[in-house]
This record gives sequence, C-alpha cells and structure tokens, in this order.
Amino acid sequence: MNESDGGCRGAASDAAMIEVTGLVKRHGPIEVLRGASLDVRRGEVAAIIGPSGSGKSTFLRCLNGLERFEAGTVRVDGLDLHAQLDGRDRSARLLAVRRRLGMVFQSFNLFPNRTVLENVIEAPIQVLGRPRDEAVETAKQLLDRVGMSHRLDARPQRLSGGQQQRVAIARALAMEPRAMLFDEPTSALDPRMTGEVLAVMTDLAREGLTMVVVTHAMRFARQVATTVHVFSGGLVVESGPPDSVFECPTQEATRSLLAEAHAA
Amino acid sequence: MEEEPSPPRIAPRLAARSPLPPLAIALGLLAAAILGPLPHVSSADTLAKVRAAGKLVYGSDDEGGAPFIYLDKNPPHARVGFEVDLLAELGKHLGAEPEFHWGLWENLLQILDRGEVDLVVNGYELTPVRTRSFLATRPYYVYQLQLMAPVGGLVHSMAELNLPKPGGGRWRVGVLGNSVADNYAQKLDPALVSVVRFDGATNAMTSVRNGRLDATIQDLPAALFYVKQEPYAGSLFLAGPPEGCGYYVMYVRKGDEALRDAVDSAIDALVASGKHREICEKYGLWNPAQEVLSGWKSADPASTAATSDDTLDFSLIASFSEPLLWASLTTIALAFGSMPIAMLIGMVVALGREFGPRPLGRLFGAYVEVVRGTPLMLQLYLIFFMLPELGIKLNPWVSGITGLAINYSAYEAEIYRAGLQAVPVGQMEAALALGMTKWTALRRVIVPQAVRIVIPPVTSDFIALFKDTSVCSVVTLVELTRQYSILSNSTGAAIEFGLATAVIYLVMSLPLSWFSRWVERKLDDKGA
Repeated sequence: MNESDGGCRGAASDAAMIEVTGLVKRHGPIEVLRGASLDVRRGEVAAIIGPSGSGKSTFLRCLNGLERFEAGTVRVDGLDLHAQLDGRDRSARLLAVRRRLGMVFQSFNLFPNRTVLENVIEAPIQVLGRPRDEAVETAKQLLDRVGMSHRLDARPQRLSGGQQQRVAIARALAMEPRAMLFDEPTSALDPRMTGEVLAVMTDLAREGLTMVVVTHAMRFARQVATTVHVFSGGLVVESGPPDSVFECPTQEATRSLLAEAHAA
Repeated sequence: MEEEPSPPRIAPRLAARSPLPPLAIALGLLAAAILGPLPHVSSADTLAKVRAAGKLVYGSDDEGGAPFIYLDKNPPHARVGFEVDLLAELGKHLGAEPEFHWGLWENLLQILDRGEVDLVVNGYELTPVRTRSFLATRPYYVYQLQLMAPVGGLVHSMAELNLPKPGGGRWRVGVLGNSVADNYAQKLDPALVSVVRFDGATNAMTSVRNGRLDATIQDLPAALFYVKQEPYAGSLFLAGPPEGCGYYVMYVRKGDEALRDAVDSAIDALVASGKHREICEKYGLWNPAQEVLSGWKSADPASTAATSDDTLDFSLIASFSEPLLWASLTTIALAFGSMPIAMLIGMVVALGREFGPRPLGRLFGAYVEVVRGTPLMLQLYLIFFMLPELGIKLNPWVSGITGLAINYSAYEAEIYRAGLQAVPVGQMEAALALGMTKWTALRRVIVPQAVRIVIPPVTSDFIALFKDTSVCSVVTLVELTRQYSILSNSTGAAIEFGLATAVIYLVMSLPLSWFSRWVERKLDDKGA
C-alpha cells in the first residue's frame, strides 16, 4: 500500500512477516491458548476462523502485546516477543512491534473527544513526530480511500458503525504498518454496514497489504484470504488455502463450524 | 415574667454566633428576618428552676483555660480551677450544685441564649456590646494583661511594642481572638504591630515558643499559670509589668434579674467573708488589684439592662465593608491557591493507583485513606503547630494552602480515579496499538476524557473547598467566616453580618458553577 513497504515486499515476499510458535495463554485455571502456532508471510491475507471462545481474538491480541502470554514466541518482522521478556526490554520491544502492526478493533475504539481527522493524525504526530501539515495531508488521502473524506470534522458518535470502522482503519493505516490485525472488524455492525467495511478491507488486500483477520464473515474469508486458519480449543487445528479448507475440511471442528455458518 | 418554666427559647438576635456554615445560618435567619424580630421570650425565672432542680448549669470552655478552669494533670483528672472553686461556693449560697457544660469560648453567650446553660462563667469581661443583650453580674475578678515573650527575644515589655521593631518589619503579637487582649492589641499602632488571632490562648503561646511570633498578650492569671508550665517554662517569660485593667463578670439571660441578683449577693458574701481571696490565693491569682472588689457597688441597673434593639441595622455592613472585602479576598486566595495543587496531586495519585506499579498504587492508596480519614482541622493544626517542633516553620499562608491542598488532593484523587475508570479500556488499547507509550496514551487520550467526566464533581468540590477555607482560622488567617465571627461578636449584629457573609459566599461560588457548565458545553459542542 505504501511506497516504503514496496521494496521490502519485493525483496522478501516469501519471508515470514509473523511467526508464532507454541503460544500458551492462561486466565487463571483456564487455558485459552494451548500451544497455538501459525505463520503469516508478507503480502498474505490470513483469515482466522473458529467458534466463539476458541481463543482466536486472544491470539491476535498476543501478536501486538495487548495480552501477555505464558509460553511460546511471537516474532514480528524479525522482532522477538517471548514470555520471559520483562520490564524495560519488553516495553521497548512492544513499541517496536506495535510500530509495525496496525490494529482494528471490533468496537472501533475511536477517540470520542476528537474529530475524525484528529483521530487519524494523533498518532503520526505524537508517535512519529510528523509535522501537522504533513499528517493532515496523509490523513485526508487515507480518509478519502476509505470514503470518509466528507466527515473530517465530525465526532465519532455522529457516525454510523460502518463509518466509524472505516475511520479506524484509516487511523491504523496512517502509522504505515507492515501488517494489519483485524479483530472481528464487522461483528459489531449490522449487515448493511458490514459490506462497506469488507469492501475497504478487500481493497487493501488487493494492494498487497499483509493482514491477519479474525472473522466470522465466511464469504470474505473464502474470497479474500490467502490462507485460512481454523481455531478450536486454543489450537490451530487446520490451515490451508480457502478452497481446500472450505471444500474438503479434514477436521471435525472445521466441518461443524462450516455447518453452523451455513445454517446461520 | 411568664407563668411556666419555658422550653429553651431561640432569640433571633444571637442565634447566629456560631462560625459554622454561614449560609445555613443565614437561611434560617432570613426566615427569622422575614417573620420579623421575635420578642425576647424570657425564661420564667431561671433561679426558681435552678433551686428546684438543685443544679446550676454553667457554660465554660476548659481548653487552655487554666488557671480558671482546666483538667487536673494528676488523677483523678478532675476539672479544677479558680472558677470551679468559686462556683462550688456560689452553689452553696444558691442551694444548687454547679454543673459544667462545654462550649467553644467565643460561642458561650450564644449557648446561654439558646437556654442550654443558666449562666456563663469563663473569664468573660464586662463590655457594652455584651450587656446590650445579656445581664452581667458584679465582677468576680479584676484582670490585667500581661505580655509574654520568648527568652532571648527582642521584646521585654509592652511599651516596646510602641517602638519600631529592630531590624524592620512589624511586631507580630498573638492574642486569643475576640478577647480583651485582642481589643487591647487592636489599639496598638497597626504600622508597628501586626495582631495574629488564635482560637485558643495556649496556641498563641506555642507560636511564640516556635518563634513565629514576637510576643503574646495574655490575661495575667493565664500568663502567671502557664509561664511555669511545660512546655513554656524556660522558653517564655513575663515581659514587663501587667497593663490594662477590666472586670470578669458572669452573664445570665435578660429577664433573669432574680438569678443575677442572687449571684451578686453570693459574690458579695464570698468577697466579704474572705473566701474569694482564699480561692484566689490557692491558684496564685491574688494581687492588690482585687481589693477593688470589696467596695463594689452593683452597677446602675439601667446600664447593665440597657435596652436591646431587635431591629436589623444593615448600615453596619457598609461601615465594615473593608474588612469583609479583605476577608473575602483571603478566602479567594486560599481557595485558588490550594485547589490547583490539590488537583495536580490528586491526578498524580489517581494515575499512580490506576496505571502505576503495584507498590506505588498501594502507597497512594494509603495516602488517600489517611488524608481522607483525618479531619482537615487536625491536619492544619499539625502543620502549623507541630511541624515547627521538628524545625519546619511554615507561615500561615503556606500552612493553610498546604493543608487544604493535601486534604483535598485525596478527594480529587478518588474523583479522578472514578473518571479514569469510566474511560473504556478500549481507549487505552487503541492508543497502545497505535504505538503510543503508556504515558503518551494517558496524556493525550485517557486523561482528557477523564477530565471531561469529572468536571461536575470537581466543581462541586471546589465550592466545598471555598467554604472549608474557614478552617484556616486555626492558622490565624482571618478569612470570611472568621471575619464574620469577629464582626458579629464585636458589634452584636449577628444576623446582619450572617446574611452578608452568606451572600458573599454565594456570590463567590455561583461564578464557579457557571464557569464549569460553560466549559462542559464548550467541550461537548466542539465538533459537529
């Protein structure tokens, strides 16, 4: 999507952007992740599907350190995050990882006291130290891409859910991430608005942005994803190209998930 | 004059002597003012009641009250003193047992007026302001004033206060607020002497000992007593001869002429029999000045029973507008000086508790509990009177502002904590995911949202602080409530000044409410 990443992708398009090995996460006695492993190559769109409570959102939040984990490693663009990392080292590493990963939340999490434009320019100015003019220029372009350039001065609460999510995507993109994490980006939207958000995401995928998408939107997963990973009971039980996962699932968990989705 | 012993009456004139919430008082008074001055309802012969019940209830304040009334250091720690012994003898003459009823010294007459005590005996001097509303008995003691100064200090006698202070500045002289010493000190040249008022006589002595004051003017008996007591012995001395002269009398309600006459003849008898002198000598209070009491003729009833006027006189407020203005400015300065500090500390404490490392959170939690769980008055007392013992001497302004700021910081901290908790977790996550540090996230995202949430409770707290500045009279600052108390005590115009004070507080707090609502609107309207 942006020029700075272009060369990088070309040179190492088959290298892994995100590598996760043996991730274990516990909430007290409950083991939410039980050794989940998964790789995402540069330029790949990885869709993570699975029943509620299978640990897929927790998994995603471990990638940029919003959740701590008890065992395993996460490597993002060559940067290691492991369970033992602590204190200052962890803080510094987290900042570096988060600089490389954008994230979009199910509940948008826009800053309610800021306008649309202010939401998008906040981090580039505060974190990257961009001059305001430049940040505004970039923000306008991004908001134009997600179809929100007509509401620059609106507060988030005046926007529909779909509009808010599109602004949230622009806000994450403004940090020029190497990859984007989407945590059920359309689950809080009614079907009418789901489409507009998925359209933006499809656009981004076509441009070659690396994306990890936790989703219940099966059609999107099938049409846009490069690889589909099926979560069940805190593990990745099946991975593969969408066609093979959807057409001839090898695991019982996948089959029942697809049956449920079909029925719904 | 009436038929039956009446229940405690409430006379409008003096019901408002309490220095506490002037607004509440004024609202009550407003009602009284609208209804018109009530006639003085005289209790039906208190003397008869006293004799029937066999007890004489007297109002007094035993805090720093030696040698007149105080708690014995030795077991059984009985209440002892010159007045206690005198009342015991008096009781024999009246056929009633004296019973102690505590009240803040400067509020005792108000307590008398409410009917809770039969008479007031507590080193109250004979003054025209008091006899306007109460009946005075014949004097039972001739007092003189004594200067107490620190050993090795600059002052050696009262006369030196009329000379410029060596090294420049003004003499700082402490007195018990609204006392004779206070009146006396007010007559000294204000260009040379700055008078500092205290709530208790010994507080002034403590401040001299701490080096905060150059000297204190005290009743001679109190000076004679405390100069030999720890912790003053050795550090304070009696500077020069006693000066000034006046009479201690007991006060009863108007209409209680019978009680007054009975007390008068009892005192006559005690003086004549030599019993009075005996008690004086027991407490080291006898001096030749007391001879005057033997030949005393009760004053012309007309002078002690001067007609009390129950009409309101608001012209007084205009003539005292300057002290009221200064006191208001003091209140404003205290509030605006302390609130920003309280808000700042509160924010740091709240952030530490919510987002800091666990040990810091615990520490701040303890801070909040301790500060919030102890009275502001005590904290101020600690800062002003105890810290100097440790070598930390803060002036009244710094003490007052520090005390208020610390006290309110605990409340602010809890308000901010509630505000921070009200910001959804997703906001912090979104900020962190955008690569912000925790600090940047707090500063740019979380705190601005929390601040918006807490504007109403913080405003409310600020208004409360405005009124709590009245506690700063402990550190000798004359703020609005203190000034009210001084003016109403020295003029007797409690209602007039009570109403004026309430109005001033209201005028000061209303703009705060308006300002906060304006800020809220401004924050809400921003963005379409």
